[in-house]
Amino acid sequence: MFKRLAASLLTLSLVASLAACSSSKIDGDSLVIYSGRAEEYTGTLFEDFTRETGIKLDIRYGDSAALAAQILEEGDNSPADLFISQDAGALGAVSSEGLLATLDDAILNRVNEYFRSQNKDWVGLTGRVRILAYSPKRVTVLPRTVDDLTKPEWKGRLGIAPTNASFQAFVTAMIQTRGEVETEKWLRGIAANSPKYFEKNSLIVEAIDAGEIDAGLVNHYYIYEVAEELGREIDVKNSFFAPGDIGNLINASGIAILATSKKTEPAEKLIQFLLSDTAQQFFVDDVNEYSAVDSSQSPGELIPLSDIKAPRVDLAALKDLKRTQSLLIKVGLL
Amino acid sequence: MTTLEIKDLGVHLGEREILRNLNLTVPSGSFAVLLGPSGCGKTTLLRTIAGLVRPTSGAIRFGKQLVSISSLVLPPHKRNIGYLPQEGGLFPHLSVAENVGFALAKAFKKIERDSIINEMLELVGLTGFNNRKPHQLSGGQQTRVALARALATKPAIVLLDEPFSNLDYALRAEVSGEVVALLKKTKTTSLMVTHDREDALVSADLIALMRDGQVVQAGSPENVYMNPISAQIAESTGDILELPAIRVGRRHYISALHPKSKKSFGKSESGYLLVRPEEIRVVETKKGTKGLTRATISQIQYYGHDAVLELGIAGLADELKVRVTGPLKFEVGSAVFLEHVGPIRWVSQIPTGE
Amino acid sequence: MNLLAVKQPPSGLTPNPRTSPVLISAALISLGFVALPLVYLIGRALQGDIESVRIVVFRAKTLEVFTTTVSLVVLVAGLATFLGSALAWTLQSIDLPRRNLIRALVILPIAIPSYVFTYCWLSLGILPDGFLAAVVVLTLSTTPYVTLAAMAALRRIDSSQVDVAHTLGLNQFQIFLRVTLPQMRNALAAGALLVSLYVLSDFGAVSLLGVDTFTRTIQNTYQGSFDRSSAAVLALMLVALSGIVISLEVSSRKKTQVTRSSVSITKQIEPIDSLKARIIAISLLSTYILAALIAPMSVLLFRFFARPKPIDLLGLSQAAFSTILVAAIGALIALLLALPIALLALRASLIGKVAERGVLLVNALPGVVMGLALVAFGSDFPMIYQTVGLLGVAYAILFLARSVGTIRTSLARVPENLTEIAATLGQSKARIFYRVTLPLAAPGVLSGTLLVLLSAMKELPATLMLRPTGFETLATEMWSNTAIFRFSEAAPYALLLVIIAAIPTFLISRPDRQESTEPMRDEI
Repeated sequence: MFKRLAASLLTLSLVASLAACSSSKIDGDSLVIYSGRAEEYTGTLFEDFTRETGIKLDIRYGDSAALAAQILEEGDNSPADLFISQDAGALGAVSSEGLLATLDDAILNRVNEYFRSQNKDWVGLTGRVRILAYSPKRVTVLPRTVDDLTKPEWKGRLGIAPTNASFQAFVTAMIQTRGEVETEKWLRGIAANSPKYFEKNSLIVEAIDAGEIDAGLVNHYYIYEVAEELGREIDVKNSFFAPGDIGNLINASGIAILATSKKTEPAEKLIQFLLSDTAQQFFVDDVNEYSAVDSSQSPGELIPLSDIKAPRVDLAALKDLKRTQSLLIKVGLL
Repeated sequence: MTTLEIKDLGVHLGEREILRNLNLTVPSGSFAVLLGPSGCGKTTLLRTIAGLVRPTSGAIRFGKQLVSISSLVLPPHKRNIGYLPQEGGLFPHLSVAENVGFALAKAFKKIERDSIINEMLELVGLTGFNNRKPHQLSGGQQTRVALARALATKPAIVLLDEPFSNLDYALRAEVSGEVVALLKKTKTTSLMVTHDREDALVSADLIALMRDGQVVQAGSPENVYMNPISAQIAESTGDILELPAIRVGRRHYISALHPKSKKSFGKSESGYLLVRPEEIRVVETKKGTKGLTRATISQIQYYGHDAVLELGIAGLADELKVRVTGPLKFEVGSAVFLEHVGPIRWVSQIPTGE
Repeated sequence: MNLLAVKQPPSGLTPNPRTSPVLISAALISLGFVALPLVYLIGRALQGDIESVRIVVFRAKTLEVFTTTVSLVVLVAGLATFLGSALAWTLQSIDLPRRNLIRALVILPIAIPSYVFTYCWLSLGILPDGFLAAVVVLTLSTTPYVTLAAMAALRRIDSSQVDVAHTLGLNQFQIFLRVTLPQMRNALAAGALLVSLYVLSDFGAVSLLGVDTFTRTIQNTYQGSFDRSSAAVLALMLVALSGIVISLEVSSRKKTQVTRSSVSITKQIEPIDSLKARIIAISLLSTYILAALIAPMSVLLFRFFARPKPIDLLGLSQAAFSTILVAAIGALIALLLALPIALLALRASLIGKVAERGVLLVNALPGVVMGLALVAFGSDFPMIYQTVGLLGVAYAILFLARSVGTIRTSLARVPENLTEIAATLGQSKARIFYRVTLPLAAPGVLSGTLLVLLSAMKELPATLMLRPTGFETLATEMWSNTAIFRFSEAAPYALLLVIIAAIPTFLISRPDRQESTEPMRDEI
């Protein structure tokens, strides 16, 4: 039995090393993409791109933040040509280490000004809006601003996800527009209302549907995702705050070319493809996100981006989470 | 043909001194037995010869080859020895044939190996047991396989560490007889450890008696039995009576068995006579008992083939144990007469304790 | 002739029993691998901006995280040890029908990844999330580690001791307490240690249940702020904590000498044959199997049958093949790294001991830390970076702790007299190891290696970072579906992962069939 075991292990390792050789060989011509967006959210776009241009793609899916950390660790040795992220923060973190290449003006000018990084090294692909998800049955009077949520009538009814990147980006934006003192005041007000804490936005939506809480601060598309997963209508709706309120922060999913990439030209082609009208339409219709190119488009029954009157924030600065986290730590939310 | 020669060997295990200044020579082709009480260092000596224990001083030589000097040693796998430990030590994961051929794997082709294995199995009387696993063998068979394995490489020296101790009593004599015969037949220089004195006397060409990490006496079985150097040593080869006695002059002794005679004069010295129980003749009839010692039978231990009489003698504090053979004609309480018929062994002092 | 009058030592005689330099270099290489993540963490921690590290480390939350982590470890390890020894004793001592099947079912929960396990339990809706739920879920899923260790220890106890205790007037319970339990002590301590390290490194359960342990905090630090230095400092605190746990285990270990004189001829304890005992046993075992296996599996099956789309058979089988392949490579590397460590640790060598403890320290690290450590070192070598080989190395380092102990114990149980005889039969140390030691220790070596295989199949964070681009395992496929809340579409992958992981689990659960060397009766 021992000999058989040894023999089978040996065979296995041989097969393994062969497989390792064949599977690790990234085609020299293909573009390597680190994608923080799930396969589901890009649909057949990548295949269409390869069919149209003949450029092959090797895509590594992962969590945006983990991929950003990975790119930071890889530094100059990164095999990636492109980085696609779910949110602006992860792109900002990689950008601030100088690991991203400056983009062509044609690309930068293609997107809505709001979705351009100030360093000119990444662009947004889609817009994702912070909203209040609520139960229409239990919430009759909707808050006009996020400040209303600190009022006593919201005690114990709200769900937030303070460890989640999207919530932290929102707090960062608040610090940007209102300053640290005001933000701390708001955070303390929220904390004083003893909200329920969740790991993920989707869990907040599920909790609203299950009646555990009445409302929560999430991104706009979670109610669609949760409904699809549960395979039924859910008792949750999206609500924007008053125009201009920081609660309506628009975050972006985005794309960047790594400074170490030697395939700038095909990489730019891919970005242009993802910013094309067809691709943008797909994001709006099938992924329920806002177009980075055409602000008059809107997913589902939501109002268009141009009507939300989102506060002006520097998306790239959303990576600067140190102050945010210190603040969250200070008020005890982290 | 290899002589085993051990000179001034010293072994420490940790802080404890196990062997000291040990000397022993086993002539080529002879079967030697190490006899001694447990804890005297027999097994350590065997393991040192095998190379499993590192000595602190002295030298060991196999024929002309020096295998150990001071603390320099030849590792065990280069010594070409056969080793039979207690309980045989067969490899449980290997078949009988694989066990026997264990040492042959590298140097021989498969066909040669198989023929040696079969030859060895035939030698130990286990032909056809090739594919059995050790747990399918009896204890005696296991011992014989272990022997076949030890002999397969035709070792210069074979070391046996109480190889028969876990066999049933009845089987032990049979197996040990076979093994010894085999070793003698193959003229292998052998050294066996045992604490069974009968085992030793029956089989050995040479007996080495050990005490406290030393070989205190070595010689042929007859020699060590008949001429022990002390009462204790005498005990290790058989029962012994320590008879208080007085030596008068150089040749005359007075004891319970040796009545005073006219010749008994001159310078006298007290000591002991060492007498083997079978060296005392027990006479029942009253005729011809002049000069013999009178004794009363206080107890009889009956063994079947012989018996031991416990005898009380006037003027002797301890009872005397005497072995008698033949049809038993004695009764407890009756009087008998005793005569010493063996050689005189005089010791001036019996040391107390070990 | 004077034997002692030798001027030069003759050739071939050696002054000291040397440990083979090959073995020492092999162990040093193993040690090097084990040290990689620690070196990485220290390097990262030193690079950090002191002020931001200070903020993260010296916040009020850190104390809370520390308390939560310690209480979770203590409670889960305690409960799992209690439950595991009870299950093992029941299985070993009470005569039950189909014992082998029940034994496999009791061990099978370790085939379920903790995130799947937790998700399924959450879906049942009977647990509130939070600390207590984490205690329940982690206890249920880690108990088999103790059960395995306890069963092995029980098999080694000679039945004559139990018989003697019976004649001395002790009842079954007293015998368990006074005869059996003390002899299981070291095995239970080792099992409890594995459970503790599992809890320290677990991310799946605590993140789903919202329990702030060190591992979750580390993950959040990476995710939220991309602050790798603060995360490294937190990870080093986790390492320190696991150091405390390890030293507790070492000090609780009773210094019993392992008997190595001969192959044991232990007579196994006769199972108790009584109706009352059987009823108690069956209710205990079935309660555990229901909670730890049937409950999560039925949710998984329900999700599987409720999935909206047909199964992607090609993707599924490719992922299954990839999973087996890369986990097997990991297990193989772990075996190669573990053997020299175990051998040296047996000889009380310093390198061996340091490596053995190091292995345990590293086991407490979350997969994301291991992933980043190997990204940092591996990306310098494009030839090996993001190959299954490097991923295998990551698995091996992460899970070495699960095999090295078992391997050392089974090597230690190879009777010394057999290796000595092999030496007298002309075999060098290396050949003795190959021909005697390794085959005799094979069952233990195999189960240790299978445990690594099993753990590697379930691993996610390091897999995501280190797999070749485009290479999907069952775990990554499952992740990419759950990350976008397609739990039903993840179900086929989860189910197949559990089924595949069940194979090594089943093999581990079988008692090692070491052939007894008890001689047959002599026929005279």
